[in-house]
Amino acid sequence: MAKHDASRREFLVRAAVGAGAAAGAAASAGLVPGAAAQDQMSHMEGAASAPGQQHPSGSEHGAFFNHADAATIAAFTERLMPSAPGKPGARDADVLNYIDLALAGAYAELQDFYRRGLAQLEAYCRATYKEPFVRLNPEQQDEVITSLENGKATGFTYPSAREFFNTLRIHTMEGMFADPLYGGNRDFAGWKLVGFPGAQAIFTPTDLQSTQAFTREPIVGLQTIAKGPAGRG
Amino acid sequence: MAIEKTDIVIVGMGAVGGILAAELGKAGMKVVGLERGPRLTTADFNPHDELRYFQRQDLRPNWKRQPVTWRANPSVRARPMNVLNYGNQAGGGTVHYGTLSWRMHEDDFRARSQTIEKYGASAIPQDSSLADWPVTYADLEPYYDRAEYELGVSGKAGNLQGKKVDGGNPFEAPRNRDYPLPPLLMDQSGVLFAEGARKLGYHPFSSPRAIISQPYHDRASCTYCGFCQAFGCHVGAKSSILVTKLPEADATGNFKLITGATCHHVNTDNSGRATGVAYYGPDGSDNTVEAEIVILAPFIYDNTRLLLLSKTDKFPNGLANSSGQLGKHVMAHIMAKVFAAYDDRYVNIYMGPSAQKHTIDDFNADNFDHSGLGFIRGAQISIGPADLEAGPIGTAMSMDPPPGTPKWGAAYRDFLGKYFTRYGAINAQTENLAYADQTIDLDPEVRDQWGMPAPRVTYDWRRPNERARVEFLLQKMEGVAHAMGATQVWRGALSPGAPGAHHEGGTRMGNDPKTSVVNRYGQTWDIPNLFLIGSSTFPSMSGFNPTLTIQALAYMSADAILKRYKSKPGPLA
Repeated sequence: MAKHDASRREFLVRAAVGAGAAAGAAASAGLVPGAAAQDQMSHMEGAASAPGQQHPSGSEHGAFFNHADAATIAAFTERLMPSAPGKPGARDADVLNYIDLALAGAYAELQDFYRRGLAQLEAYCRATYKEPFVRLNPEQQDEVITSLENGKATGFTYPSAREFFNTLRIHTMEGMFADPLYGGNRDFAGWKLVGFPGAQAIFTPTDLQSTQAFTREPIVGLQTIAKGPAGRG
Repeated sequence: MAIEKTDIVIVGMGAVGGILAAELGKAGMKVVGLERGPRLTTADFNPHDELRYFQRQDLRPNWKRQPVTWRANPSVRARPMNVLNYGNQAGGGTVHYGTLSWRMHEDDFRARSQTIEKYGASAIPQDSSLADWPVTYADLEPYYDRAEYELGVSGKAGNLQGKKVDGGNPFEAPRNRDYPLPPLLMDQSGVLFAEGARKLGYHPFSSPRAIISQPYHDRASCTYCGFCQAFGCHVGAKSSILVTKLPEADATGNFKLITGATCHHVNTDNSGRATGVAYYGPDGSDNTVEAEIVILAPFIYDNTRLLLLSKTDKFPNGLANSSGQLGKHVMAHIMAKVFAAYDDRYVNIYMGPSAQKHTIDDFNADNFDHSGLGFIRGAQISIGPADLEAGPIGTAMSMDPPPGTPKWGAAYRDFLGKYFTRYGAINAQTENLAYADQTIDLDPEVRDQWGMPAPRVTYDWRRPNERARVEFLLQKMEGVAHAMGATQVWRGALSPGAPGAHHEGGTRMGNDPKTSVVNRYGQTWDIPNLFLIGSSTFPSMSGFNPTLTIQALAYMSADAILKRYKSKPGPLA
């Protein structure tokens, strides 16, 4: 019994660190051991990380990423979902803020995955282009992302290039389309891009018969619901 | 360490457990139900949060704390599956499921005999363990009827006592009476699918679903919000066990639900009788329930796992395993997909119940002539969103872009921006055959939160019979998509061998104790007071979602226990 309890405690500690990964991210990452707390502390030290601090890119971060990593993530995710007039992208949706908050919370187990992935990405860019990712032009950045996606980028061990790409793609989509409550999809940018009206409680028979776009306002988010006069019982 | 005594202990409070708790409790038997997860309420399901419920699987087991591992074959190392499609709360999978509520066809219960009669024994792949059920459709009809009426299923009959009825499924087995509720309203994907299918001479109809289309039993009807598969229903219109049978069980006064209870052992004595179960409480305590009858009703993995973990000197290969069949003949559906996208109109597929909205049954079971096709059995073909859930995260995860369009960058952004509201996915849910080497056993490396070995699934759907069937179905679905007038038609990616939804088998039912684990009532051949009820007992799986059949079996077992076993404990078959 004592032995069982000891192993159980050990598991619970590991499980607590590793709780709550996303479906897709986890697929590529597999069972990721949690980063040692001490390692996190030393990494965070010296990084100006006041919550809500404005980054030069215009995106928010500070819960997890340092400035340099935040800039890389902002640039990378913007290439995955580029912003254009009338077409909100990762920067408009503040995907960086979503990922930053997720890594400080629900996806804390992926901190080391990101830390190592970013270091490998930088090493690959410097070896190939003599510049960090953020200094590459968009065409070069796309080349880098393509080489991650097809697994051809060299120097990646853990995470593998493909795993890192897949996870960033999944987290970018989450940041584009998850409820704004989670820090991305700012002003429903992602939902506006695709024409999703959000958490509608009801669609009428007329709605179901329509062959047109659904445009009835407002787009409904979780905070709208929470603040609503009568809620939605 | 608590010890309590009861007449019946049921492990798992899902599709099966809730029905048995209510039916046995009503008859005056004392029932203790163990549930690993919490008991939630309809009020808990108010927020429509795709990240939480779909993407992060909040109503399903945490795959890291409760891992189930998978490997394609014994030569590779099994890894935890990162999507677990079963429930983790009172009500089980019926809380988040897509609600498809099918009666299997008559020939689904005798697929082996039917195949031999029509195509000869050589049509069955040599390595397949395809078997007939020890139950016929006629045996189950009254129980299907009870499940439809007591729970609340919406649909339209296609075969009333042998008479074909327009608008229903002409391939369905004869039913004694129509559904209790009319079909759910059609959305535009259903309209398009029905038009296209009819042009080709097929027979489309509204899929029967356990969602009430009108107020029923004091419950409000569906609001068509679309947050359906993967979500709990915010108005309680989904006829989940949580809002149907659990309140009935409560009202008996004979039912006690223990949540946060993880069963880790089935206890047996030297006479070979089950004496009860042991479970860990939420605080890690080790507790015991002593019972006259032990009923295991978790998702399929835990039946095999618990029986293996509970081995004794008397049962050295695991409980109820004198046949050596425990853990074998595992099956799973896979989804083959064809996308249909429109430039000239909207589809708005995020409206309405999201899973398998409208169906054709023309290529399921033995509803079509398989002569010369190179495979047996078929698939349910239906229209819906890419992954049975229609929100933008799910769409970005599962809607593969057409060939030539990348999965990221400006072209992908424009693709998703344009077609999210202008597409439908046609899905074939395939009846993959049973094979003895598709198994569940104990993972030698991976353990769960409680220190128990994880269930390990060894499975690869990519068998010659299954590949040939998928290619045939993809061509049929492409035909439907073109007939629907889609601007673009393309195939989705296929699973790389992994099991999809609706895992079945592992504790197969049969007529012969030498080749099966349980009889038709889910009673184990070796231990008459130990029952396993659920899709783990299915000898074959059909192309239909299993839940209504699971529920019908639960009603049948409850009847057998009350009418026969209670007065004369012993083998029922």
